[in-house]
Amino acid sequence: MEFQASLALVAPELVLSLSGLALLLAAAWGGDKASRLISILAVAALVGAGFLAAPALCNGASGPDTLAFGGQVKVDAFAAFAKLLIYLAAAASLIVAPAFFERVKAMRAEYPVLVLFAAMGMGIMVSAADLVTLYIGLELNSLAAYVLAAFLRTDERSAEAGLKYFVLGALASGFLLYGMSLTYGFAGTTSFAGIHAALAGDMSKGALFGLVFVLSGLAFKISAAPFHMWTPDVYEGAPTPVTTFFASAPKVAAMALTMRVVVDAFGAQVQAWQQIVMIVALVSIVVGALGAIGQDNIKRLMAYSSINNVGFILIGLAAATQQGASAMLVYLAIYVAMTIGGFVAILMLKDANGEPVEQIAQIAGLSSHRKVLAVCLAMIMFSLAGIPPLFGFWGKFLVFQAAVQAGMVPLAAIGIAASVIGAFYYLKVVKVMYFDEPANVAVGKSDWAHQALLAICAIFISPLGYLLTGWLGGMADKAAAALYFVG
Amino acid sequence: MHPILLIVFLPLLAAIIGGLGNRGLGNTVVKSLTTGALFASCGLSWMTFIPFLAGTAEASVVPVLTWVHSGTLTFDWALRVDALTAIMLVVITTVSALVHLYSWGYMAEDPDQPRFFAYLSLFTFAMLMLVTANNLVQMFFGWEGVGLASYLLIGFWFKKPSANAAAIKAFVVNRVGDLGFMLGIFGTYLVFQTTSIPEILAAAPGMSGASMTFLGMHLQTMDVLCILLFIGAMGKSAQLGLHTWLPDAMEGPTPVSALIHAATMVTAGVFMVCRLSPMFEAAPVALAMVTFVGAATCFFAATIGTTQWDIKRVIAYSTCSQLGYMFFAAGVGAYGAAMFHLFTHAFFKALLFLGAGSVIHAMHHEQDMRYYGGLRKHIPLTFWAMMAGTLAITGVGIADVFGFAGFYSKDAILEVAWARGTELSHFAFWMGTIAALLTSFYSWRLVFLTFFGKPRWDQSEHIQHAVHDDHGHAAHGHDDHAHHDAHGDGTAGYHPHESPVSMLIPLGVLSIGAIFAGLVFAPPFLQSEEFWGGAIYYNEALLHAMHGVPVWVKLAATVVMLIGVTTAWFAYIKDTSIPGKFVAQFRMLHAFLYNKWYFDELYNFLFVKPAFWLGRQLWMRGDVGLIDRFGPNGAAWVVARGTLAAKRVQSGYLYSYALVMLVGLVAAITWVML
Amino acid sequence: MIGIEHYVVVSAILFVLGVLGIFLNRKNVIVILMAIELILLAVNINLVAFSAFLGDLTGQIFAMFVLTVAAGEAAIGLAILVIYFRGRGTIAVEDANRMKG
Repeated sequence: MEFQASLALVAPELVLSLSGLALLLAAAWGGDKASRLISILAVAALVGAGFLAAPALCNGASGPDTLAFGGQVKVDAFAAFAKLLIYLAAAASLIVAPAFFERVKAMRAEYPVLVLFAAMGMGIMVSAADLVTLYIGLELNSLAAYVLAAFLRTDERSAEAGLKYFVLGALASGFLLYGMSLTYGFAGTTSFAGIHAALAGDMSKGALFGLVFVLSGLAFKISAAPFHMWTPDVYEGAPTPVTTFFASAPKVAAMALTMRVVVDAFGAQVQAWQQIVMIVALVSIVVGALGAIGQDNIKRLMAYSSINNVGFILIGLAAATQQGASAMLVYLAIYVAMTIGGFVAILMLKDANGEPVEQIAQIAGLSSHRKVLAVCLAMIMFSLAGIPPLFGFWGKFLVFQAAVQAGMVPLAAIGIAASVIGAFYYLKVVKVMYFDEPANVAVGKSDWAHQALLAICAIFISPLGYLLTGWLGGMADKAAAALYFVG
Repeated sequence: MHPILLIVFLPLLAAIIGGLGNRGLGNTVVKSLTTGALFASCGLSWMTFIPFLAGTAEASVVPVLTWVHSGTLTFDWALRVDALTAIMLVVITTVSALVHLYSWGYMAEDPDQPRFFAYLSLFTFAMLMLVTANNLVQMFFGWEGVGLASYLLIGFWFKKPSANAAAIKAFVVNRVGDLGFMLGIFGTYLVFQTTSIPEILAAAPGMSGASMTFLGMHLQTMDVLCILLFIGAMGKSAQLGLHTWLPDAMEGPTPVSALIHAATMVTAGVFMVCRLSPMFEAAPVALAMVTFVGAATCFFAATIGTTQWDIKRVIAYSTCSQLGYMFFAAGVGAYGAAMFHLFTHAFFKALLFLGAGSVIHAMHHEQDMRYYGGLRKHIPLTFWAMMAGTLAITGVGIADVFGFAGFYSKDAILEVAWARGTELSHFAFWMGTIAALLTSFYSWRLVFLTFFGKPRWDQSEHIQHAVHDDHGHAAHGHDDHAHHDAHGDGTAGYHPHESPVSMLIPLGVLSIGAIFAGLVFAPPFLQSEEFWGGAIYYNEALLHAMHGVPVWVKLAATVVMLIGVTTAWFAYIKDTSIPGKFVAQFRMLHAFLYNKWYFDELYNFLFVKPAFWLGRQLWMRGDVGLIDRFGPNGAAWVVARGTLAAKRVQSGYLYSYALVMLVGLVAAITWVML
Repeated sequence: MIGIEHYVVVSAILFVLGVLGIFLNRKNVIVILMAIELILLAVNINLVAFSAFLGDLTGQIFAMFVLTVAAGEAAIGLAILVIYFRGRGTIAVEDANRMKG
């Protein structure tokens, strides 16, 4: 009976793993010709999993009822919120993939299967309630991600991206694992709740070591400085649909996992990690902004932008309050929309032969021949820079508000000041599109799927997005309440 | 709906529609809209005013919107209607409506007419907000609003550098006054804990004699507040010291000068002093200052007016001088007389300005009176209008029979100044009397130079251009016209034309006002406490004393007026060499007056140059050298360096990436272990 | 007597060796894969030692999972290395810097 209840709780993961396996068989049997169909089915599987995950969020599920498999997994509203974002991002990166891969004749049926497995791994990550579950979920995601990064086998940059991602990812996994082994040794248990109980009171040096190692490993996954070094190279080298995926779904998963770990497992030791998070947040903001300024490749620029945004999200974590967690979730939702919108727009930048355009200089004067695309991209850039009235401002506002209300005025002030540096490179893109001599390179047209995705993202981040603040805020509040549930 | 709402907001609506519609709506639509709104507003104003005259109206306050409710600071948008406001409403809307109409003709060839009319209407709205204010903050809103409109209108021909300079000068000089006004408002709030005018006025008599300590000095509270407020009035009403902007403001189109710089905005200071009269009555030192500054301005501006050649500048100095009369009338306690002079002055000064505009229009934008002469026959209607204005300003009339507008108001002021009986009021009387002589002289000088004598047009570049242009278009048959000198009559072959009917109607209406306003309105303004209904401080005893002044005092104004006319007649009609001889004889005096007492030069030396020096220091050393260098530029430099560093760290090598991660890990461990 | 400290120290030494192996080695990517295995080995020693010390089986189960995942990781790592070599004709760490800045 208990086992059945557990299975019901992890229904989304079951759907994803079973459909992933089935589609893998289909891929082996049908070959690459079936890849479009498999993509569609994979999107359907993600949608189905989303529907299975949604009720937990709507009900604001929390507490012991959400625990499955003897406390290994926790399927509460918080996990559901993160999962929905992950599935949406994964579906988006599946939708934009065929057009990109077919052009280089590399559309393989494994792509949707790998994305499905990665999404399942991330689902496990965000519902982890135990170090072992955490590790399994993380590796399930990572192993799929390494392959995805190197998916264009004949492309040197893609292979190099895969190699770098793999090596550094493995190193980060090593940090994480070593930290977990120390935590296990000093807490005597691998369950988050057990660790929380064991570490209450004074923390031993060994457990502190473990905490720092675990945080370092997680920082790699969310690409927070100084563990961000892989990000620009991998984002640039990986195929753009894969980059779309990397920049959105794993960010959500790793960020949610980090929140889960520091609140659930190390919640009794706030003072031990709070300062590290603050410093990492500020360093990420600054490094992201500084790195982005020198870029001429727009994918690389987006990579630094993601580092920069992660810094802002971490300010919410540094607040270490439920309000901060809620703000982070809202920010993540907006960030996912901005990132997917941005990469879809980048995918739509093609020259007359359909070759992708990645150099910022090549989109000079885009506003003269691709007006709508230029407007959308400009909106996304303004939104990423956090300029009101676009929706990106709302996320920044919420995290800063949370920080201020947690008494961290200097942190918020420095963060706001540093966001000015960030505005520079976002506005540079807009300036190139609108004020530079037209280069007339990015003239290629795109299909309706791209246009629809871009339109949805653009509408979401436009001032119209503020109509959703109540609804989105309500969901995030439920999720944050589940995260901080004390039962 | 209370009519006051329409009176105030119709011009605003017209200004917004006309201003935003601009060329999209076209000249005629915007002009009709704004002018129509103003005439409607004007009609309603008279309907509001007449019940006050009849003594059947009560003062009332019409709330509009909640504005600020913050702690003890509370004020709302509300429109106050009482006798004082009603007078101002009539003055503002009448002159404004007529000026709108006049501008149809005067600005007919301007490419930017919608903008001009929108500005005019905007100005009218701001002025109406000022006079209907029920609290000091709303009054300040109107005060600054008219300042803005004045700036926009003086600089209307913004391609002309001199117009821009004049607009900026008007704005900057008014800032000095506004600082005083603002400090006055702040201080009033501090002392009375409210900005509501009725509440302040009710509490003011009780505050008489209260003192405050400021920087270790014991000061009379009410004197300090009233002097600060009066500094604001000095700026807006161009009183001695802060008057320098008014003559320069003549760079604006002439209808603007008539509306803003003669009839309405410049009288805002007088209005404010009258509105707050119970406050000033509790501040004897401030009242003395008002009297002195008013009397000094009255004399000083009149002396300058006698030497200027530019027709509009003469009238501008005349305005300055007449405002002096109003102020010293208020200073000696005769607020009714001050408002009466304000009222009559609005008619005859607007008339003089519009008449001057008509002359300028006829003379192809020549403004120098040296190149006028003999225009009486060419533009007779303008001539008669100007005559009406001149008779009114010089105060022609016979007691108890009939007099032009200025006769009643100016004589009343002089009599009341004598009747007050203090040394200062006698000083004001003598200053006013001398100024009356000078007023008569320069006003008639203007008329004689412009309309009498022989034409002297041939020396004017404007006229030569006009004639030249005409010949460009004319048939070649008129050979004789090609040689200017051939005429020998000084006309250079130019034929001035009477202005169009849209300009003549306002002249006619204002002429009626200039002739009859004194006779009709003297009784209520000067002798009826019921009419005022508590809107101003009413000094019964002083007005009684006014009737008991010696006969020579009553006659003084008329006598000096006659002396002035005669002198002007001798100098500019009988023997035109007299002015030249006089100038040769008193070279120093003439230069002193001609250069406006060297005020501009003095200010240039005292304030402008040091300010420029200080500004340059702060700019080059402070801003560029310090703030820019360590602020924006410094930050940009750091960011550029940081970007280079970030790029260098991102070397592309796996082992350096791993090293950075390890460094981060070690740093974090070190941090938590310490 | 060999106590828990000895195991932890050995594990720490192995871990440090593994980490050093990643960024001191500039020649061969295969060495990096070996260094990663060394790190995972250190982790496993820790887990098993703690498990025995605590008398708790979780650590050993965890170690099994780590072993399994490590196998998958090594396979994927080698696969990526192969396609990298195909494209570039070299597996020297120093050459993998197409993308930088």
